[in-house]
Amino acid sequence: MTEEEEDSSAKMSEDVKRYLKLDTRSSAAATSEPPCSSSSSASALANNKSRNFKSFEPPCPDHVLENVLENVLQFLTSRCDRNAVSLVCRSWWRVEAQTRFEVFIGNCYSLSPLRLTHRFTRVRSLVLKGKPRFADFNLMPRNWGAQFAPWVAATAKAYPWLEKVHLKRMFVTDDDLALLAESFPGFKELTLVCCEGFGTSGIAVVANKCRQLKVLDLLESEVTDDEVDWLSCFPASETHLESLSFDCVESPINFKALEELVVRSPFLKKLRTNRFVSLEVLHRLMVRAPQLTSLGTGSFSPENVLQGEQEPDYAAAFRACKSISCLSGFRDLTPEYLPAISPVCANLTSLNFSYANISPDMLKPIIRNCHNIRVFWALDSICDEGLQAVAATCKELRELRVFPFDPREDSEGPISGVGLQAISEGCRKLESILYFCQRMTNGAVTAMSENCPQLTVFRLCIMGRHRPDHVTGKPMDVGFGAIVKNCKKLTRLAVSGLLTDEAFSYIGEYGKLIRTLSVAFAGNSDRALRYVLEGCPKLQKLEIRDSPFGDVGLRSGMHRYCNMRFVWLSSCVLSRGGCREVAHALPNVVVEVFGSDDDDDDDTVTGDYVETLYLYRSLDGPRKDAPKFVTIL
Amino acid sequence: MEGCPRNREIGPKLFDLIPQGRKWYQEDKNNIDQEKKLELRLGPPGGDEEDRSAMKKKNNNYTETRNIKMESEDKSFQGFNSNHFSSSNKTSQKRTAPGPVVGWPPVRSFRKNLASTSSSKLGNESSHGGQINKSNDDGEKQVEPKREGMFVKINMDGVPIGRKVDLNAYNSYEQLSFAVDKLFRGLLAAQRESSGSEGEEKPIIGLLDGKGEFTLTYEDNEGDKMLVGDVPWQMFVSSVKRLRVIKSSEISSALTFGCSSKQEKMRH
Repeated sequence: MTEEEEDSSAKMSEDVKRYLKLDTRSSAAATSEPPCSSSSSASALANNKSRNFKSFEPPCPDHVLENVLENVLQFLTSRCDRNAVSLVCRSWWRVEAQTRFEVFIGNCYSLSPLRLTHRFTRVRSLVLKGKPRFADFNLMPRNWGAQFAPWVAATAKAYPWLEKVHLKRMFVTDDDLALLAESFPGFKELTLVCCEGFGTSGIAVVANKCRQLKVLDLLESEVTDDEVDWLSCFPASETHLESLSFDCVESPINFKALEELVVRSPFLKKLRTNRFVSLEVLHRLMVRAPQLTSLGTGSFSPENVLQGEQEPDYAAAFRACKSISCLSGFRDLTPEYLPAISPVCANLTSLNFSYANISPDMLKPIIRNCHNIRVFWALDSICDEGLQAVAATCKELRELRVFPFDPREDSEGPISGVGLQAISEGCRKLESILYFCQRMTNGAVTAMSENCPQLTVFRLCIMGRHRPDHVTGKPMDVGFGAIVKNCKKLTRLAVSGLLTDEAFSYIGEYGKLIRTLSVAFAGNSDRALRYVLEGCPKLQKLEIRDSPFGDVGLRSGMHRYCNMRFVWLSSCVLSRGGCREVAHALPNVVVEVFGSDDDDDDDTVTGDYVETLYLYRSLDGPRKDAPKFVTIL
Repeated sequence: MEGCPRNREIGPKLFDLIPQGRKWYQEDKNNIDQEKKLELRLGPPGGDEEDRSAMKKKNNNYTETRNIKMESEDKSFQGFNSNHFSSSNKTSQKRTAPGPVVGWPPVRSFRKNLASTSSSKLGNESSHGGQINKSNDDGEKQVEPKREGMFVKINMDGVPIGRKVDLNAYNSYEQLSFAVDKLFRGLLAAQRESSGSEGEEKPIIGLLDGKGEFTLTYEDNEGDKMLVGDVPWQMFVSSVKRLRVIKSSEISSALTFGCSSKQEKMRH
């Protein structure tokens, strides 16, 4: 910041303190004073205890307005609202920037770290998303980018009081984690979702150096086993830990260290262990932490099968954990022990069986007590019968995800439209569904559209490519058409099965609130893409693979790309010329073109064929860290 | 039985031989279709395409009423790259096992090996309504490979478009050789036609014994280029990094010159 700005902001903060009467509810209010005590860095709004009533000059009207604005804006947490506020005028823009404590960046390449630190000076919480979702399915070569390094470097200098970092699909190294741990003394929450590039040694540094740590959540991330006992690296004193999730860490842990950690973490509410934690270890943990609300049960399998009395009383442990509302894990379930969770079923709001090969008969006695469940994840091993049982009991269900036990295209498939229809009839409050199956009917999908008007997320994956309705033989157009037409709150849609351009005409006509659309192996022609790009005004994220869309279709969305987060088109029919056209017409949009491999091999590049197009808007132009195999047009 | 879309789709194509202002590569595709129809297949009907860029060709001259379980077909692509598409689509693999496509179904890798890890824990059920009991032949416990199959690149002299093959889908050099033929036969013919010579398709044979026009070579994990077929299959699979189909006449130069010969080939 320039001297001038520093002065004026210091002055402003003094004034704000004066005018402030009420205790603030700043969303990122620090409980302890940040180390830098200069008023320009401290959140004056949170620091109402130290008012300075020294003599002052009457503030000029501009400052008065800004002070009032600052007071008001601190109550605005929604980033949409904040974005709107910042557009009113320069003064409002400035005040908003100074009162924004939580920054959300949906695409790390849409701006440079420098721009972030220049605009927002008091950030305490950063949410940063990197690669697009299709990267999860090996459609993006390794080393494409989304490195956290430049961000941690920039924020380390600009926001020493940073408390929270939430990353999704970013490449994070151990060095990055070390820098984070060293740079932010008040650091409280680290959440890494679908990230990679780091290992247990990076985690160890965070555990050791972040003394205020409340949340350490590693979710669906790839964590290399550096053979470091990271659990022993937590400080020996009482911790502030509230949430510790490491179910994705594929390496053994020190059970004793975990147990001791749990004992000295009185605030621990969420503990999600990995599959190396056996039932015996889990039992010991539960006994020491009966206050848990969320438990990831590890393998749910005993290390040794003891006879009768010698075996720990698992049901008793569950009974003692009266607050458990969320259960997950079951990574290597031994079925005989499943009934042990019965005591907590009535209180469960979230149950994740998606790693457990659970049959309908195993499920039924459990689920019939789960009246309060809102979120249920399972494998299709529960069959249509299991889904019927869910439908019969779980009237409060909001989110259902059914994953395939055998994720191949031509396997048998134990669930179908029967299960989908049953769910739609029983769970009327359903808002979000992800359903993998081998066969489906338009009838079942239509039934869901009619029975579940609250749906905001509908993701149906018929695993066999181009599969029609298995009863009528017709395309799935009508079913998806019914979904977009009847589910008026729909914001996210993933389509599959045999689909013609007609399906897309429905999406364009009725999908007025759709923000995210996933398409694979669908459509007949560019018209389909045009319907969507012309018809869906709220579309932000468009990911398409293996569909017959070409330059004409791409061109039809020119008016939209500046207002979208990204567009992904892989294995379609795009030419380099067509993509270049877009790049030239839209200077604020970065157009990346690459193949599926990370070696720079021009054998597979036929010159004009584009294997993958990934375009996104950016304030700071094309990125400088693009690897060789990526061409930015 | 559930519709076998790909299988049926080929039938009506037979009637599309009359070009309607389509380019040559469309016709080429039809020839391949015919041949495919006549081929004996080892696998179940509707075998999958292994290449992830393989596309369904749809032809909107046909209405859906034609076959009960017919998929609708759309018109040929206006796009620039119909060439790539028609070729790649029609040189699909037919094997005993369904060919995997990269990233499909869209399930993250850590969810993929449940079949192998859970099969040992059986519930009380053994009927179909019970737990699914799959014996996964990959036998790897808790290993979560980044890729579904073992895809290696394969290039052929004279064909600018490289492809990928999943080596895990084969058990022998013969199967691989067969696959290479399927993969490149159409592309090669297309290339030849565009350069003026007859575009008639000839099977690519003799890849392994040096007797054919082409020979299959590979580059191993140490960067050495070798003829395919000398070592036991599994040893080959564990060391191969990429494949190359070269003209038999150029075997000696291709293998001795290493990188430089590779670059020479790249200048086609």
